[in-house]
Amino acid sequence: MSPEYRRERLDRGIKVRSEDVFVLAGWSELLYRAGPRLTATVLLLVFPLLRPWTGDYWQTVFLVALAMMLAAVSWAFLENVGLVSLGHSLFFGTGGYLTALAALELRVPALVAVLLGALSGSLACALLLAPVLRLRGVYFSLVTFALPLLLSRIIEATKILGGTEGLVGVPGLGSLAARQYLLVMALLATVFGLQRLLDSDYGLVLHAIRDNDVGVRASGIPVGRWKLAATALGSLPASLAGGVLATHYHVVGMSAFALDYSVLPLTAAVLGGPGTMAGVAVGAALLVPLSEVLRAFGTLRVVVYCVLLVLALVAVPEGLFSLARRRYHQFERWVPV
Amino acid sequence: MRAVQLAVDEINARGGVRVGAVRRPLQVVSIDTREHEPGIPIHDALAALEKLLTERRPHAIVVGAFRSEVLLAAMDVVARYRVPYVVTIAMTPAFEARIASDPVKYRYLFRMGLQSEYFAGNLARVLGYIKSRHGVSRIQFVHQDVLWAKATVGFLEVWARQAGWTVVSSDAYPTGATDFSASVLRARTGRTQILVPVFDMPQSGVLLKQVKGAQLPVAVVGFISPAVPATAWQAFEGAVDGMVQFVAEPGPLAVRVLPKSVHFNRAYGQKYGEEARLRLSGHGPGPSYDAVYVVAAAIERAGTLDPDRVAEEIRKTDTEGVIGRIRFNEKHQVVYGGLPSETAISLAFQWRAPGRRVVVFPELAAEDEIRLPAGVGR
Amino acid sequence: MTEVLSVLLYGLVQAAILLLVALGFSVTFGLSGIPNFAHGGVYILSGFVCWYLLRQLAWPHLLAAAGGVAVAAVVGVLLYWLVIRPVRRLVLAEVIATFAAGVAMLELFRWMGLVTYDFNLPPVVAGSVTLGEVTVDAHRLAVVAAAAGLGLLLWWFGRATRTGLALRAMAQEEYTALSLGVREDVVATVSVALGSALAAVAAVLVLPLGLISINLGYDAMLVALAVTVVGGTERTAGLVLAALLLGMTTVAASVVLGPHWSEVIYLAAIVAVLAVRPSGILGRLKELEERV
Repeated sequence: MSPEYRRERLDRGIKVRSEDVFVLAGWSELLYRAGPRLTATVLLLVFPLLRPWTGDYWQTVFLVALAMMLAAVSWAFLENVGLVSLGHSLFFGTGGYLTALAALELRVPALVAVLLGALSGSLACALLLAPVLRLRGVYFSLVTFALPLLLSRIIEATKILGGTEGLVGVPGLGSLAARQYLLVMALLATVFGLQRLLDSDYGLVLHAIRDNDVGVRASGIPVGRWKLAATALGSLPASLAGGVLATHYHVVGMSAFALDYSVLPLTAAVLGGPGTMAGVAVGAALLVPLSEVLRAFGTLRVVVYCVLLVLALVAVPEGLFSLARRRYHQFERWVPV
Repeated sequence: MRAVQLAVDEINARGGVRVGAVRRPLQVVSIDTREHEPGIPIHDALAALEKLLTERRPHAIVVGAFRSEVLLAAMDVVARYRVPYVVTIAMTPAFEARIASDPVKYRYLFRMGLQSEYFAGNLARVLGYIKSRHGVSRIQFVHQDVLWAKATVGFLEVWARQAGWTVVSSDAYPTGATDFSASVLRARTGRTQILVPVFDMPQSGVLLKQVKGAQLPVAVVGFISPAVPATAWQAFEGAVDGMVQFVAEPGPLAVRVLPKSVHFNRAYGQKYGEEARLRLSGHGPGPSYDAVYVVAAAIERAGTLDPDRVAEEIRKTDTEGVIGRIRFNEKHQVVYGGLPSETAISLAFQWRAPGRRVVVFPELAAEDEIRLPAGVGR
Repeated sequence: MTEVLSVLLYGLVQAAILLLVALGFSVTFGLSGIPNFAHGGVYILSGFVCWYLLRQLAWPHLLAAAGGVAVAAVVGVLLYWLVIRPVRRLVLAEVIATFAAGVAMLELFRWMGLVTYDFNLPPVVAGSVTLGEVTVDAHRLAVVAAAAGLGLLLWWFGRATRTGLALRAMAQEEYTALSLGVREDVVATVSVALGSALAAVAAVLVLPLGLISINLGYDAMLVALAVTVVGGTERTAGLVLAALLLGMTTVAASVVLGPHWSEVIYLAAIVAVLAVRPSGILGRLKELEERV
């Protein structure tokens, strides 16, 4: 009988050697553990400084990419609580509009307006979604799909908030570099902070709410309030992104609630790997430049996103990031049975 | 785009543009901002503009943004990059208001195409004529919910009330709407006699279909972009019969009093085929073609590609084009009027069976009188 | 009086349109629990197929329509086997995957430039009909008749035929149905194909009233959602009631308030019903209500 083989997956040696306190044993262990995160952080911090070499255009793309990464992370956080939003542009647009309002009506300096807009945006969205948080998966998603469309149609019909023309003349926030660093800081805080949160006991409760909320309620934890808090926290990064982009373009219109801003975080999250904050950020970081490169193809871009999305869902459901991480930490080989 | 390419090819065939001592060929680079889709964020369109400006570094831009929100936002971008920018499609009056507010900052921006106030003025003249000649008085406006159309209809509403019309209603539809039943219903109950549509989207053709289907006793006088080309008669299966259609600028029709428009039509047909010529729309090709010539001439007069000098020369333009006589006013807008030898002109024609477009306005270019459908007015 | 009659008549037509467009989606969702968000894409796709067969290949109208329906059914089957089946049971993945497929289809059409006025379908019945003081095109009346007919047909199908009963059994009590020999894959394929075919029928009937406009694909999705959510998926009567309610309200609103408000109403209806009575106005599913 010829030998049969099976595929075996083992942790790499270096991974085992660098576990726990042993990471301090040597440089290679340190670099192995810190390497990926360090590289990513350094890249984010250094890119704005490369302006003379990359040119203005790619710096703007970087800014937009940062904003989209924040939106994607926000999406992923909500997904961890079991709230899948098909209309993430809701948070993005609300943040943008409220920032513009703060800057134009309250006449506060741009930075304050952005922070105010982000905070009030996330609170407003949480309150808006409060009545439907209790719904089961699909139905919640349907509402999130309908809400940004509803808001933009109401704005169009009632002509409030500038109607079809939107709010113009939103003041800028310092220089391009200032905006970029603001978002970089926010992104780093969000990715590492929220991931920490999800890995802690708080995160345990959130995951439990996603998987079996009846059980959680039976343990005496008020599910409704937790979901509300999670929504507010989760929508903060997206609102911030919307606010900063509003100051960059000096204008906020109905198009802030566009389908584009809902599809991108979704695709990024599915592509990168729902579940980890870093994964979705990587997904977004891949998608935005891709979409710029595809700009020449016009609407075909969206087709590409969607095809990628379907492929990712069907073929790589764990996401590219999880795949990469697995390869980094483990190796596979064929062993005879 | 084809009109622009036609002009570029013609100029290059004559040796190109003389910049100082050197003759250089013109080259067209373009980018599609997708802004005609209502769902596309302004950010996206502006990013496309910035990409064009930073990567291809054009010496001048013609045609420009046409969605009003995008245009107004783009004005600042263009001013920052210092590039002569000639708009040929967007009609919003807010464009000149901005230029007037800061002429130094916006000195690179010009408009060749028609703008809402002129457009409304022409419509008012024609409507007034119809009222006095045929004794109608009940009017209804149906328009697209965008800046230029709203401005046009806003002006017309005020004028209509002052001129003694009964305004049945003024209905606004979002870009992309395909169902105009609400207006059809209102027209029936309000006993509308003159229906004035103002649309620049392909779906607006459905309005004509619905009006015919409901057999409304109205005369349609206005602007529906898909009903301009010569192929529209067949596409609409005759539903355009009797409609008085405004054409923002000459181009799609060869008009005798505008010799350049005859040449344009012939050259366009030769280069792109008769089918393409029949599909020429009424808003864009004419002024875009002329804009290329204006910019080329300005560069030659300036003798350099320096944006400030070129912009200055564009301002002093006084030449004859497809659209009539081209001169800019102090707000960088081409002056439109009734006399082709003095100003640029804007036409209106009436569709007559079996598919002819008979020019009815302005008076000097008119081939025939306006006839109303049976049962409307005297 | 004419005004009220006109509004009522157009409201009825609108209700018929809503019912036709929503039927495909509701059938698939109700009969096998698959939320097919590519419904809008299939709707427009079948419109274009019919257009191509009719205008470019000069087939007779009925044959071109049948062609459109056939292609839609095939696309439905492909959709199930390639996109839905790999992610079956992961409800949200189904939603996202079909949604992406639908958007991909629609935006592909847009990129191909299928947006001019040339892309329209002729009415099934030409001419106008005058009822009292109101004139309406004959095609609109045909739409009402078709909607009524189709509604009745589906109601009968679900109640009186073996296949229909099997499908409903799957939706209500999956494991029992499986243990009785109803095969899951076959059932799901049939329901998705059926839903797509119904979308095509709706397209062929409704698109002649306007253009084959890409945005209508998104609108169709929204409408299907609104009617299904408001009416609930259990009973055809619920769907009919929801269609009537939404149809009348939107027409009245657009005449009285303005055309912008019709979309607001669909969306607001979805949000309101999901917040207050998630299983629809005639639904009796307790599960959703117990989620407090």
